[in-house]
Amino acid sequence: MAESSSPRTLADQFRSWPAADLVRLLEARPDLATPAPQDSAQLASRAGTRASVLRAVDRLTALELAVVDAAVALGGTVSLADLQAHVNAAPGAVKESTDTLLAMALLWGSPDELRTLSVLGEIVGTTVSGLGPSAESLLATYGPSRVTALARDLGITPGGERQRDIAAIAAHLGDPANVDELAAEIDPQARKILDHLERESTEGTVESTERAVSRQEAQSPVDQLLARGLLVARDRRHVAVPREVALCLRGGRTTRARVDAPPALATSPRDQALVDRTAAGAAFELVRHIELLLEHWGTAPPAALRGGGLGVRELRAAAELLHVEEPVAALHIETAAAAGLIAVGATEDADAAWLPTDGFDIWNAGSVADRWTRLALAWLDNPRLTGLVGGRDANKKPVNALVPDLERAWLPETRRMVLDQLVDLDPNLTLAAGTGTASLVERMKWLRPRRPAQRSEAIGWLISEAAVVGVLGLGGLSVHGRALVAAEDPKHEAAGALEPLLPEPVDHVLLQADLTAVAPGPLAQELAHDLAAMADIESRGGATVYRFTATSVRRAFDSGWSAREIHEFIAASSRTPVPQPLVYLVDDVARKFGTVRVGTAESFLRSDDEVALAELVHNPKAGPLRLRRIAPTVVISDMPLDALLPRLRELGTAPVVEAPDGTVRLARKDAHRARSPKHRPPVAEARQTARITATVNAIRAGDQAAANRPTNESGIVRGGPMSTMAVLRDSVEARRTVWIGYVDNHGSTVERVVDPVKVEGGWLTAYDHRADDVRSFAIHRITAVAPAQV
Amino acid sequence: MNNGPLIVQSDKTLLLEIDHERAQDCRKAIAPFAELERSPEHVHTYRLTPLGLWNARAAGHDAEQVIDTLLAYSRYSVPHALLVDIAETMARYGRLRLEKHPTHGLVLSSSDRPVLEEVLRAKKVKPMLGERLDDEAVVVHPSERGNLKQALLKIGWPAEDFAGYVDGEAHAIDLTEDGWELRGYQREAVESFWHGGSGVVVLPCGAGKTIVGAAAMAQAGATTLILVTNTVSARQWKEELIRRTSLTEDEIGEYSGTKKEIRPVTIATYQVMTTRRKGVYAHLELFDARDWGLVVYDEVHLLPAPIFRMTADLQARRRIGLTATLIREDGREGDVFSLIGPKRYDAPWKDIESQGWIAPADCVEVRVTLPESERFVYATAEPDERYRLASCTGVKNTVVDQLVAKHRGEPTLVIGQYIDQLDEIAERLDAPVIKGETTVKERERLFNAFRHGEIDLLVVSKVANFSVDLPSAAVAIQISGSFGSRQEEAQRLGRLLRPKEDGRSARFYAVVARDTVDADFAQHRQRFLAEQGYAYRIMDAADITAES
Repeated sequence: MAESSSPRTLADQFRSWPAADLVRLLEARPDLATPAPQDSAQLASRAGTRASVLRAVDRLTALELAVVDAAVALGGTVSLADLQAHVNAAPGAVKESTDTLLAMALLWGSPDELRTLSVLGEIVGTTVSGLGPSAESLLATYGPSRVTALARDLGITPGGERQRDIAAIAAHLGDPANVDELAAEIDPQARKILDHLERESTEGTVESTERAVSRQEAQSPVDQLLARGLLVARDRRHVAVPREVALCLRGGRTTRARVDAPPALATSPRDQALVDRTAAGAAFELVRHIELLLEHWGTAPPAALRGGGLGVRELRAAAELLHVEEPVAALHIETAAAAGLIAVGATEDADAAWLPTDGFDIWNAGSVADRWTRLALAWLDNPRLTGLVGGRDANKKPVNALVPDLERAWLPETRRMVLDQLVDLDPNLTLAAGTGTASLVERMKWLRPRRPAQRSEAIGWLISEAAVVGVLGLGGLSVHGRALVAAEDPKHEAAGALEPLLPEPVDHVLLQADLTAVAPGPLAQELAHDLAAMADIESRGGATVYRFTATSVRRAFDSGWSAREIHEFIAASSRTPVPQPLVYLVDDVARKFGTVRVGTAESFLRSDDEVALAELVHNPKAGPLRLRRIAPTVVISDMPLDALLPRLRELGTAPVVEAPDGTVRLARKDAHRARSPKHRPPVAEARQTARITATVNAIRAGDQAAANRPTNESGIVRGGPMSTMAVLRDSVEARRTVWIGYVDNHGSTVERVVDPVKVEGGWLTAYDHRADDVRSFAIHRITAVAPAQV
Repeated sequence: MNNGPLIVQSDKTLLLEIDHERAQDCRKAIAPFAELERSPEHVHTYRLTPLGLWNARAAGHDAEQVIDTLLAYSRYSVPHALLVDIAETMARYGRLRLEKHPTHGLVLSSSDRPVLEEVLRAKKVKPMLGERLDDEAVVVHPSERGNLKQALLKIGWPAEDFAGYVDGEAHAIDLTEDGWELRGYQREAVESFWHGGSGVVVLPCGAGKTIVGAAAMAQAGATTLILVTNTVSARQWKEELIRRTSLTEDEIGEYSGTKKEIRPVTIATYQVMTTRRKGVYAHLELFDARDWGLVVYDEVHLLPAPIFRMTADLQARRRIGLTATLIREDGREGDVFSLIGPKRYDAPWKDIESQGWIAPADCVEVRVTLPESERFVYATAEPDERYRLASCTGVKNTVVDQLVAKHRGEPTLVIGQYIDQLDEIAERLDAPVIKGETTVKERERLFNAFRHGEIDLLVVSKVANFSVDLPSAAVAIQISGSFGSRQEEAQRLGRLLRPKEDGRSARFYAVVARDTVDADFAQHRQRFLAEQGYAYRIMDAADITAES
């Protein structure tokens, strides 16, 4: 921004900017670009909105905020020189910050006349420095006489015009020499009050501020301060230090503390090779763990909770499987999910469960370095705050892994920023154990003072996560971690950097007489697969320990290995001579393998007469019986017995049927019987009885109604609802039984004898003798009412 | 990648490739904090346990050193979680201290208040503690010193014991090194025991554990109580002590079923100590009979449970446990550690063999096939009868005949579990038999005759498993073992391991019936020896004659 002449408005400034500057602005404040503004005027107005400025301000460092604060404190329009004089930082740093703010369009104008966006006064104000309001705004509450008195006390000849006097007082207080002189006069107690209010950036509360005291007469500490304008009354009870005074007391700076550079990280030297090796080990473990866990989940998937998460018990099981702590297991699981290796799917029983995706198979086929890079990138940009897993949420409910509400939009940026701090460290330097993380938190606080409260906790998690993922080793950034964070093409460069650090696959094992085989490194995949078929894995890690047992060897036989193949495989893959007990173990199992054979048959035939059986099996007509001779005296068939028996008889044999316990069952035909019909349960009877009783009641009630039907017209009220209602109300009062004629739902006229209970809202509620219950009748449907003739 | 000999596994085992050029250095470096678990021929397995790490802390190593050692020797990088775990585990040690308080006696104190509060609230610990002195200390009942340490260990806050040991009644004991001297490993064992205060020394049979005991006594220079398994062993201890030290016969007392002598050095049997009369241990006062400065537990893996409890009261005295195998079939290794003390010295058998201190041994499993008729009986027998049937098969007798004939002239032991079988074999071979009912006097006579070459064949039951010194035995034929007891197998092999004058290697035959539970148990028993590097050679009974 090398404008010499000051632009009139922000829009003007944008118009004069080269395209590169606009690009920089839109990169720094991406929200301005969506939707694309039509012209500079629109861009300028958008850049000045509260929402957009708030976002931009959130990305400022402590120094930049202090510059904004100073610009606001100095009235909103300042020169670069003013800022450099007032911000407690090196002029160069202030200039740099000012340039950044100009580029972000939070300040605009020329170096001689920098203007702040007006909303900054509201958003940032003087919160960084804690400076109070200016003398001018404070004195606005003073009446003309008080202004005059104060001016006189300060040795200014009052001009009589209030505004001008106030300006003169403000200018007087703005001169450090004057303030020093005034401050020298007050007693120590008053000085203490002044310093306290200035340091704490608060207002003071006093009994009353309405005290007309002069510089000579003032006695009490507050009076002394008020009389000299070192404190100004805000209202009847509150006093404040005018901004000018506070600035003078701070030596002309807006803050007492220096704000120029971010706090340094606490580091300790450590050999980079060791860092790389440790981190590569962690990286290797990460890949191995996720592979192991997901392969396990492929066969025994954990249920997905209804809310989408993973149960506490499942997490614990995963931690046990991997020999890690639960938070580490949670990180593994979340990272696998972020990399798209697991998702909710349906098991065979159609239950929702976490299953490896088809992407897992593709991932699994890659090299360790490529697999790691994919996981690490997924972790790097994962917006989920996995550190919360295992803790409790605001409602004190435990937080499960993989639940939806762990996303924090700020997290990826914070994570990258944290790692960027480490990128800037020299190689061979690592975060100091213990103090390193705390210093990192402090540095982040300086870089992003307005960022979320969860940060310091999150940074601790990030650092330990980065160690588990293998980006960091012993607190230092590894070579592959550096490539991941800072390289142009992290995918290839990180994998390329990691590759040489990983253990090379070995193609042999060491066999020992205690029937163990130790693979002194990661085995080539095919070898590992074959070995796992015939030996149990006892211990995993950089190396794998396998143990041969009778069961494990039999498993190999089950899956189709022959004894010779196993011997050959073992001899070929062992670098040491094959111990004799292992040879014997394989042979022993081979000898026993298959000594008992099982199969299915529907029925069997046995006979001591081997010739008879042979004859039967070879009978041409016996073909459809599908007989198979499994021993000299035993023949089986896959036909059921009742189908086989008549056919055997047809072939001329006289078979006897054996019961399951081996005894002979007589072939007499069973006589058939039907099942006795069930007796009807008495419930139905009772129901029938009840129904009949109800009918009888109805009939009786009908009779009663008929009997009560008025024989003559005397007493019958026919007419409008009004008269009907009157009679019914009477009956309610008198508790009299009445006869009514009523049009029912089918339109037919029925008669009822009822005891009215109440008349309300066009309805009569009454005890109906026919229904033997209380019923409601619409009054407009009642055709006639007459007292019952009891 | 670092070309080290060590591979650190995430399940806290360390694999040491012993053919590696730096393997010896590495072994020395990790020995203070890692437990040797298996030592077969190519790769030794060590394990990191909290106990091992705490022992290392007690011996003055810190987490940084342990981690640096692992990093220095590890071939691959060390799992991060493991490093964190080591640091955390080791940081737990010493938060609590057992100290002597000038007025209150024994106190448990801690500058870490939350830890102390946690411990005070633990159900198991609470009853052992007395009055709370202040925020940082609480009185401990003196008799609970051992129990408290044990309980604290279980809840993961081991206490560092600063309360020290009583010196006991002084009694000068010197080693008389005429014509022999303390071997290097024996000296190391005594030194690391003395440095640690109390603990267990693990050495293979025949490696001179008695001498380690004697050297420990000389170091202590105080009255000593020695607890041994049986009377024969007690007599051997006595003879050995007279031969190796300045002690005279009058200074050594025997406290057994028959004699009840209490002298400056008293040898008592486990059996007499656990004898109860009317429900109370009748001989408990032996522990208080003198102000013992040292208690020696021979064959500590056999230490009976009641003695555990007594030991808990003996925490103020120095204790040394001696054993060849710390495997207890009851799984109470942890109790041995917390009550007698941690393992202070251990060496792979094969190392001592290669130094020539124990004889090399050739282990052969001879497999016999049950004849068809016996197979049938075996197949239909009740499960609890099967082992006996398979062990005592008649085919074994023929094999024993052949083996004895083959080694005619060499001192041979035939070892078995079943008395009937032993009697039968003794009769066939016309050899004397030693079993439970044989009197002590007769036993000593036979052992002596064997030792002096007057007889070269002895049939023994399990009474000869322990602490019977038969230096000349060169061949052992085990015809039946007690089920799957691993330490018994080790003990039996141990009978043969005294170095032979002509440097011959010993032969250990285990005769096993193929395809039966006998073979299964044999395999289980052999596992310990296989893990110690003694590989069994398997041989068919039919090949015996062919081999010779």
